[in-house]
Parts: sequence; C-alpha cells; structure tokens
Amino acid sequence: MIPFAQYLRGLDGDDDLLTLAADELADIPPDIVAAEALRASGPAIRYDRADGVDLASGVFSGPDGMQRRDAQPWSRLALGLGLDPDGSFVSVLETIMGLGPAGQTDGPTYDTQAASRTVDSVQALGLPQGADDVWPALTLGMASIATADGTYWAPIHGFIVGDETFRVRTPAALAALLDGNETISIALGVPPAALMTAYLLAVTDHVAVPIQACGVADDVPLVPTNGGLVPSATEVVIETTVADHQPDFQSDRREAWEYCLESTPLALSVERVIATDEPVVPFSPVGRPLADDLQLTGVATAATLYHRVNNYWGISPVEWVLLPAEAELGICVVATDVLYAGFEWQLANILFTFSSLFDTIIIVDEDVAPTDLGRVLGDIWVKAHPSRDWIFSDASAPAAQRPRYRQDGQTGSRLYVNAAWDPRWEDSYIAPRVTFETSFPPAVREAARTAWRTRHDGDAAGGDHDRQ
Amino acid sequence: MAADSFRDYLQLLVADDALVSFDEPVSWDLEASAITMLANRTDGEVPLFESVGATDSDAALVGDPYRGPRSRPWDRFAQSFGLSAGLSGAAYYDAIIDRLRSPCEPRLLEPERAPCKDVVHTGADVDLLSFPWPYVHRSDGGRYSNLHTIVAPDPETEWGRWSSHRMMIHDDALASLLFLAGEQVPNRYYYEYEPRGEPMPVAAVVGAEPAVQCSTEMWIPTGRSEAAFAGGLKDRPVDLVACETNDLSVPATAELVIEGHVLPNERLDEGPFGDYFGYMNGPRRSMPVFAVDAITHRAEPRVPFCVEGTGVGYGQNSSSTLQTAAAGPDATLGLQAAGFDVDAAVPWRFTSRTVWVIAMDRSYPGVLHELANFVFTTWGMLHIDFFVFVDSTVDAHDPRAVLTAIALNADPDTDFHQFGVERMPKVPLNIYQTPDEKGSADVGTSKAKTAKAYIDATSDRPLEDDAETESLRARAQQLLVDAGVSPEPFELLEQRQYGGGDRR
Repeated sequence: MIPFAQYLRGLDGDDDLLTLAADELADIPPDIVAAEALRASGPAIRYDRADGVDLASGVFSGPDGMQRRDAQPWSRLALGLGLDPDGSFVSVLETIMGLGPAGQTDGPTYDTQAASRTVDSVQALGLPQGADDVWPALTLGMASIATADGTYWAPIHGFIVGDETFRVRTPAALAALLDGNETISIALGVPPAALMTAYLLAVTDHVAVPIQACGVADDVPLVPTNGGLVPSATEVVIETTVADHQPDFQSDRREAWEYCLESTPLALSVERVIATDEPVVPFSPVGRPLADDLQLTGVATAATLYHRVNNYWGISPVEWVLLPAEAELGICVVATDVLYAGFEWQLANILFTFSSLFDTIIIVDEDVAPTDLGRVLGDIWVKAHPSRDWIFSDASAPAAQRPRYRQDGQTGSRLYVNAAWDPRWEDSYIAPRVTFETSFPPAVREAARTAWRTRHDGDAAGGDHDRQ
Repeated sequence: MAADSFRDYLQLLVADDALVSFDEPVSWDLEASAITMLANRTDGEVPLFESVGATDSDAALVGDPYRGPRSRPWDRFAQSFGLSAGLSGAAYYDAIIDRLRSPCEPRLLEPERAPCKDVVHTGADVDLLSFPWPYVHRSDGGRYSNLHTIVAPDPETEWGRWSSHRMMIHDDALASLLFLAGEQVPNRYYYEYEPRGEPMPVAAVVGAEPAVQCSTEMWIPTGRSEAAFAGGLKDRPVDLVACETNDLSVPATAELVIEGHVLPNERLDEGPFGDYFGYMNGPRRSMPVFAVDAITHRAEPRVPFCVEGTGVGYGQNSSSTLQTAAAGPDATLGLQAAGFDVDAAVPWRFTSRTVWVIAMDRSYPGVLHELANFVFTTWGMLHIDFFVFVDSTVDAHDPRAVLTAIALNADPDTDFHQFGVERMPKVPLNIYQTPDEKGSADVGTSKAKTAKAYIDATSDRPLEDDAETESLRARAQQLLVDAGVSPEPFELLEQRQYGGGDRR
C-alpha cells in the first residue's frame, strides 16, 4: 500500500511531477491548468498553496496513447498500486481485480490515523473552483459508510455550497445502504489502491460489498471514522451527516463512473474536518479530455471485462481489453486469439453484454500490444474490409451510456470492427507486417543497430522498440 | 531559409541538427533501409549515407528525408517554404492554402545552367544499375526508386503532369512502373498511348526540391500544372530544364533525372513491396515497362528513398508526411473550390492514405453524402476507403479529438454510411482482399470490387462558443511552458520553438 503523499514523492522522483506555486497560477482556474497538462501529455502537477490544502492533478491519468511514448496512460496508476510503471498492462488489470470482492481475505489491518489535525471549516480546505463552477468542487473523493455488515466505499464528488454544506453525487446503491444511519465520511487523498477500489466497486455495481470482503482490506491499513473505515493514511477526512436525501441539485457535472451505474444527489452537513499536517489531495478536471476520473473508470472497466471474458470459456483467449480515455470510454478495444470463425462475433457481443458503456468494439490480433494504440488506429482501417468487417447488429439494441447520441431511449445498432485476420484464410493470404524484425535478416539488423547506436549512445536498443 | 533544391533542404536539416551522416560504407542491400527504419521509429535524424557500399557510384542515399517530426510533421516543409517552424496544423494549412491560391509559372533554364545536367548519359552510356537503388525490405520483388516525381505529357498543360509511381529496377535500362488505372498518368498510358501502340515519354525526377515533391502529391485541377503550384508553394518560380531525349521539362535542381518512355504492350514483373499500409502486399504482378533513354544528374547525386510501411501507426516517413503536409492542404483547397464549406481535410495520422478527416459544418442536409460521393469518385477513388466528418470546431489535426468525436457522436445506427457495397474499384495494394480477389487485372486495379464508407462524427447539438475558455487555455499553456513543460503540444501558443522546456 502506498499512501497518497508518498505516491506523489514517487512521481516526483521519476521526474513526472511538476510543482506550481500558488502565485504562478494567478487567476487561472486549476482545472484549466490540469486539463492542458493532460492534453499535452505532460507531467502530473502539484499545486503548492499557502492557503488551503495542496492539490494534485493528473496523478491517476497520464500521457495519451496517440504517440509512441516511454510512459503509458496507466503508468502512474501502476506506480500508485505498487507496481512497476513499465510493467505489463495486464498486471495492472489483474492487480485491480485483486482489490475487489474476494472469496476470502485476511481481514483488515488497522493503523493510527495520519489525519490528526482538526481543520476549522471545510472552506478552509480551499478546494479548487473550476472555470465553469459556482462553488469549490470536490472530485476524486471516496465516500465511506458503515452498517452492521461492514464498511462500504464508493466514489463521491460535488460542491461546497455553504459554510458547512456539501451537495454531492454518489452511487444510489451507497445511499440505499444508509438505512437510517445518516453519517458519511468523505476521504480525500487516499492511497491509490483505495480510490481504485471505490471505482472498481462502482463500475462493477458491487458497492454493496463490504470492504472487509474485498482484497483491498489485505493491502490498505484502515482506521474508523464517524462514517466508516477509511485508509489510515488518508490526507483529509470530512465527517458529514446527510441533511437531505433529495436536494434540489441542478448541476450536470458527472464523474465518469456515473456512466456505469445510477448516482444520486445528497446534501451533506459537515460535522468535522481532520487533515494531516501538510495535506495534499487529488482533483480531476472532470468533463475535460483525459481527466483522471475518466482514466480510473476506463481501467476499472477494462479490468472487469478482461477478467470476465477470460473466465467465461474455460480458456483465456483474450490478451487484453482497453477502454481508451482518448476515446472517452466510448470504444472498447480487445486483442484476442480468434479461436474459430465467428469467435469475434461471440466475443464482441459478450462484451456488449458485460458493459453498457460503449456501442463500438474494435477487435485486433493477439500480437497487438496494448501500448500500441497507434497500430490499432491503423489496423481498423487497413485490415478490416470496409463492408465485410464492419459488422452492425440489428437496430434493436439499447444505446450505450457513454456516447452522446440516442439519449432518448431509442434502440439502435451496435458495431464491432474485426481488424483481426480471418482464421479461415490460408496462411499465404496473410500479409506480413513491415517491421524491423520481418524486413531484415539478423545480420542486417545487428549492423543497423550498431551503426545507429554509435551515433545515439543513449538509445540502448538502437531504436528498435520491438526489442524493448 | 527557403529551399530551392534538395541540397538546400538537406542543409536546412543540418542547420536543425536533424541530419546524421554515415561516412562508413553502408550497403544499398537492406542496410540503408534498416538504419532508416530505426531513424523513423525513433523520430530521429534523417540518415545520409555518403558512401554506399557495393557500387562504383559516387551517389549518396538519403533515407526518408521528408519525414517530419511526429508532433508536427509539416514543420520541415514549412521551413522549406520560408514559413515559421512551430506552426499549428491549422496555421500551416492556412498558409499553404494561401500560397496555392497564387500559382507561379515556372522558369525555363538553359541546360548549361541546370545543376541536374552536371553529368549526362545517353544511349549506350546509360546504366541504371550504376546508382545505388535500395533494396528496401527483404520480401520486396526487387530494388526500388520510390521517392521521385514522374513527369509525363499532358496536352492540357505546357509543363506536363507530375505524379508519383514506384519504380522497380530490372536492369541497366529497364524498370517497371506501378501504374494503377484511375490515376491521371496511368490513365493516359492505358487509354491513350497504349491503344495507339505509342510509347509514352516520361522522366523520373529523383531528389527534386521540396516544393516539387509536395506538388507531386497533389491532385491538380485539369488544365493546371503542378509546376505552377510548386512555384506558388515557395512563392517564386520553379526552375525547369528541357530533357535531352524528349519534349518534357524537368525540375532543373534535381539530383537525378531518368528520361525514357513507357513501352506499349510490354510488361515486366512488379512487386511485391512493403507499402504504405504497413504490410507487405502482393501478389507480384505485371506492370508497364519504363525503357531508359538518358540519365542526367548532379555531381555526387543524393538519392532519396522512402522506407514504405513505416509511416503507419505511430510512425512517420516521407510518404505519410507528404500526405499530411501536401495532399491535405491541397484537398482542403480543392474541396473549397468545389463549393464545399470545408474547414480542413486532413489525412488520418495512423494510416494517411486510407482515411481522411474532414472538419466542416453541415450546411445543408445531405452535404456529407455529396462530399463523400464527390471524392470517392474522383481523387479519392483508389486509395481512400473512409472519411470521418467532424464539426468545424474539432481540430482535425488532433487525432485524439477526432477519436473522441467518433466515439461519442457516431451512432452505429445512423452515422456509418457504406458506399457502393462491393461495387467500388480498389488498388490491389490492399491487404483485406484475398489474392484471388485482387487478381491481376491488366490496368492494375483489383479484380474484385470493394466498398467505401463515411462516418458522420459531427455533433447533433448546437456548438458552444468557448472563446473565454480558449483564452484561459492559452494562458494555462503559457504557464506550463514557463514552468518547464515542452511547448510542442500546445496549439494555442504561436511560433513555438523547438527544444523549449525540459519535460517531455
């Protein structure tokens, strides 16, 4: 388990965190700065502030996949989960699944609370106010409530609308668990594994599974609060009570997890705010490209789908599943061994069954790397026949949740693009890719690498990324 | 510094630290291509192979010289034409379109003033194999010249027609040309010269100046000449010179000019070749024969070549860059001239000939169909399979923004439109047809027909005016640059300089 503040130090140590002083921001809203850094595939940003908590953006997102880069969109998250940032994407997916509901856990461990300093008011936190916002905004929060059966976590976001009042949105499933217990704790700056768990439980509609029955309990030390258990290393804990279950809350801001399950507004009264001595909390430029909440939702969904499809047929033909934040979660990409003719149809349609986020699926060959979105974005057009391999369902499917079209409930078609080779084709039909490995014999490759390396000492692989 | 010759252009690369010389012998037999592929994969410097092994020639090879930087592929062409480096895609397109609106007729030089006549070989003195044509991929059918301009006669223009067709070398005086019916020069050969039993004079111009190479990639209106548009691009006339053995005129500063004629009713093997799709394509087929009559060249000619197949996905090479930097602005202007209210027509970065992105507003019902129909039946007939239409507020140069538009706006039920299913012609270079479907039709198109499609990824909602946000965004971008983030990705900052910032 890596506490949030330690995680930021790790990013800094990797030269992947840029620190901005408050006076540098002038009057530019932090969400605009955060969004521009993400658009530019720049570093995560820490906002050092004299008044209020420090902020951090881009910490759960990362560089986009539209260019070949050393780091991947999920590399930061991997670091936050205690993995090698350069490790495999599948290891990230499997680690995420391990945080969720588990058959048996060792039970939670407990530690002392890092947040020991009482903050006068929630306003004193100085949460960021976005360019389009009327009030200071809370994003990337983790709600915690407790019942007799245990503690439940879920994502929460909203606004501070008064001196001690929040308007928030959280999964309806969490609100339903309150059942007379009107206390909710909001944890900000939790360990990445904890926030990831909250997102995973939301996108899989497992909010009603207690944390004590999830893998995260084995990994993240906890501490009780008035709401429920929260990670002991939490930067800021806001203990609240529900003031209104049906507040008049007109904001149309939605964090990305809300495309996966029903959410509900709540009005909360703040009872107590505690923080660490030098608190730092993450925020997401919600609604802007590549926002952190988008990336968290995409990776959580990919982990779920990867797990489900590979546990469905008794074998594991699927190499990886990806919901690129670059496509705002409206497209699902899957790399697979096409086991037999028609398998691609079966796979696409089972993915449609398991997620309502997207209407469009791209199927690519098993040898396509998840780090090579560029190849996916080429192969869909050159490998897939424009009429035979763009396969539309009949027009009776419900519209997916993420796209903007057909929000009136009308049915329509789904689409999968088969950019994998047809298993019925003879080998001689399969056009070999132009790669360094296929285009040159070993002796030429070695001579070329040597020649290139002599002029580029820093590039140990001689520019041959297939070897890396 | 503007570039009036290929050598000027190489100097420009030197000044930018974007060229790396190899003095030691490097073989034309895959080795030069392998090193170039590494350069392309790493966005590295353009390799110049000064000493090409296994030839007696004093010629040098240059690997993918027109490949642009991944973040802004058009940047080096901009500098070649005297524009600023660091322009956003939209600003570059605007500047190029402005230039193309003012074509400039070429100037004809006396032969003694033409650098491409430094050395002249005619008749028995011609030896095509004395030049280091590269063997590019080990599964290719032979050695190729594939980064040149084919000059052919055109009764409509004084300066002939310029186009690009790869050429496979067969012996000291013969090559085969990939002529695909549907393109202008091949059509003239297949449907005019060959039926008359008449050889078609042509010249292959190797190592032409950047403006020439760009206009070669353009689809120029009937009756106009690429030469005049090349002059427009660089804002002064292109120098031409008469050929030695036919009536054609060729760019005078070229490194190498191969004069000859395409024989009627003769064919030689051509292909397979690893082409722009990023895959080896075949099968080997029969293509028209180019018989060489003369070769003229500069002293120590620099012979450019393209490692095709590396300009897909994340990669860039000369041909993908030329699509983005030359074909795109030309198509934008062409569509505007045809009456379509197009903001930008931009090749899709990841496979630049197969898919184009068109940013425009839907000015009337059916306009997208009309535009797609227009292009699919004209210049986009053979190579382009897909159009993606996005709102004019979407930056068509930003593939992430385009991908988002597809994901969120394109309804599989109503916004994917297939054209002429299994009725459209197709180049046989594609990889989604079987060899049987491609066949070996005489004029070079596939035997089996295919389909085309367009995707309407425009929004159904009224667009918001976000001028205020854009101002804030620009300030945020400047803040990040001041804090050390590289300025390269920031489209709202004008005149960015290379190398600024120390992060990414």
